[in-house]
Amino acid sequence: MSVIQLEDVTKVYRVGEVDTRALRGLTLAIEEGEFTAIVGPSGSGKTTVLQMMGCLDRPTSGVVQVNGQDVTRLNDNQRADLRKGTIGFIFQFFALIPVLTAYENVELPLLLTGNGDKARRERVNELLEAVGLSDRAHHRPDQLSGGEKQRVAVARALAVNPVLVLADEPTANLDTENGNQVMEIMEHLNEETDTTFVFATHDPRVIPFARRVVTLRDGRVSENSKHA
Amino acid sequence: MITLWKIAFRNLGRNRRRSVLTLIAVALGMGLLVVLAGLVKGEVDSALRNGIRLETGHVQVREESYEEENLSLAWEDLLENPQDLTAQAEALEEVRVATPILWANGILGAREESVSVRVVGIEPHSEAHAPFRESLTDGQFLEPDDRGGILIGQRLADSLGLDVGSDVSLLVSTANEQPDEAIFTVRGLFDTGVPAYDETTVLLPLDKAQAFTRAEDRASAVWMLLHDREEADVIATALSAPQFKVMTWRELNFALLSAVEQSTGIMALMYLVMLAVVAVIVANTLLMSVFERTQEMGILAALGMKGRQILTMFLLEAGTLGTMGVVLGILLGGLGVLYLATIGLHIGDMTTAVAYSDMAIPSTIYAEFAVQDTVMLSIASLVITILASLYPAWLGARMEPAEALTAL
Repeated sequence: MSVIQLEDVTKVYRVGEVDTRALRGLTLAIEEGEFTAIVGPSGSGKTTVLQMMGCLDRPTSGVVQVNGQDVTRLNDNQRADLRKGTIGFIFQFFALIPVLTAYENVELPLLLTGNGDKARRERVNELLEAVGLSDRAHHRPDQLSGGEKQRVAVARALAVNPVLVLADEPTANLDTENGNQVMEIMEHLNEETDTTFVFATHDPRVIPFARRVVTLRDGRVSENSKHA
Repeated sequence: MITLWKIAFRNLGRNRRRSVLTLIAVALGMGLLVVLAGLVKGEVDSALRNGIRLETGHVQVREESYEEENLSLAWEDLLENPQDLTAQAEALEEVRVATPILWANGILGAREESVSVRVVGIEPHSEAHAPFRESLTDGQFLEPDDRGGILIGQRLADSLGLDVGSDVSLLVSTANEQPDEAIFTVRGLFDTGVPAYDETTVLLPLDKAQAFTRAEDRASAVWMLLHDREEADVIATALSAPQFKVMTWRELNFALLSAVEQSTGIMALMYLVMLAVVAVIVANTLLMSVFERTQEMGILAALGMKGRQILTMFLLEAGTLGTMGVVLGILLGGLGVLYLATIGLHIGDMTTAVAYSDMAIPSTIYAEFAVQDTVMLSIASLVITILASLYPAWLGARMEPAEALTAL
């Protein structure tokens, strides 16, 4: 069974009097354990596809299924519950909560899912160690470098053992060394935990990490290739 | 909930200057209201207290036909046997002190000047007149058998250039409606702090006042103080008789009490305006906060936080700010009230304007901490702060996650 199934999905944004068609009948399936890059030029619909997969937005038409469940029929609270336990997110601008420490940022999804103190502590420490930030646990985002922030974001995305991690331009604001480091961590976690990773990128340095590359153009899949 | 509160509390520290300014606005608003409430309570309470101790007592028994406006001295308007009635009143255990009293209109003349005064015949040794005795600034208090001495207010003495020992002429309209005039010597001066009394009252021993006004042994009223003023109705019932009019402090201070009642609406309006200003400031702060943190709303929503949790977070933020502001406001206001309770607010001769009214407003108002008003205002401040933050919070909570994240 596919983790994600998008069938003939369209998305039209209305900006003022103008309709912008971000997705034009896109069909795509993501299987369990994949490490997939979605690439394409700006405006091709990469971010919109991730938002559909992550139940952050609703399609104008078409069907989005997560773990076989049609999420287009869910209300806001049901979608929030689905995201909370199933999907992890990594964003281009790190997107940490600035008033919380690295530890607390990673802990936040675990609090929202109602994990106990001990379980939370163990999981947060395990993840911070996995991303090499045990010694930075009690620093706030403004005390961390860009690479460190993105590693915290990776740890947070994986906190609840999600089925799927969606990363939107995860290396866009990182230098080569930090970008590679973040990708290696994601790749390692994918291999180790079999968590499905889908990342949108236009960074050519990232593409070699992907085992599958989906190319979008004008809101449709134009190319779908698998790497060894 | 703890996590939401933690985030909310820390968010307040994110833009410290803005939070502190908002906090100051809430605290100043609340503080001002506490001071205002304290001043009003101080003024009302002292006016009522002064009215009771200097003028009305807790209960008065008068002849049914007595006309207060004219300070009538006609025999049929006066109490026939005030001493009997006084003894009857004093026998009641609720009554602390009872004394006959005689009021008359008069004109006090000194040198070229003369002023209208209210002549009050009192039993000098009665505990009822302790306020005058205690406020004596110069000279001696009256003795019952003094046939030529009077007491006047310090203010009246100052305005006429009189002193202890000065001779003055006093003209009264007697019981048979004929004027009579006599020379009296100022034995002492009193300063009750209430211009309404200090500028218009002349005290005489009751015997002399009765003789001077031809009232003989009659009195205008039997005047009494109780141990507990709430017992006034009980005493009024106990002393009621067809020929008497028994009045309690509520009826006797009707002008003041109804003025207070009328001013309650105006005060509530003032409170509301002040609270509305505070609410606008809090709403503005929260709105700015929502717009600045749009992307964070998206992140929190992406992590699975529901709209109502985001709403709660903002309400907690406003509630924390409001609570801190209210506590600080009560402290600031409390200090203000403490200062005004000790030093007082001198409103000076403003009270001369009401000198002839029934209100015993002192020239210096001493604030009193208005506990009930402060509790009510604290709750109102908090509720209004929370209400004011509902719109910004709702705005933050209803954002589509994707829409909020595009603010990245």
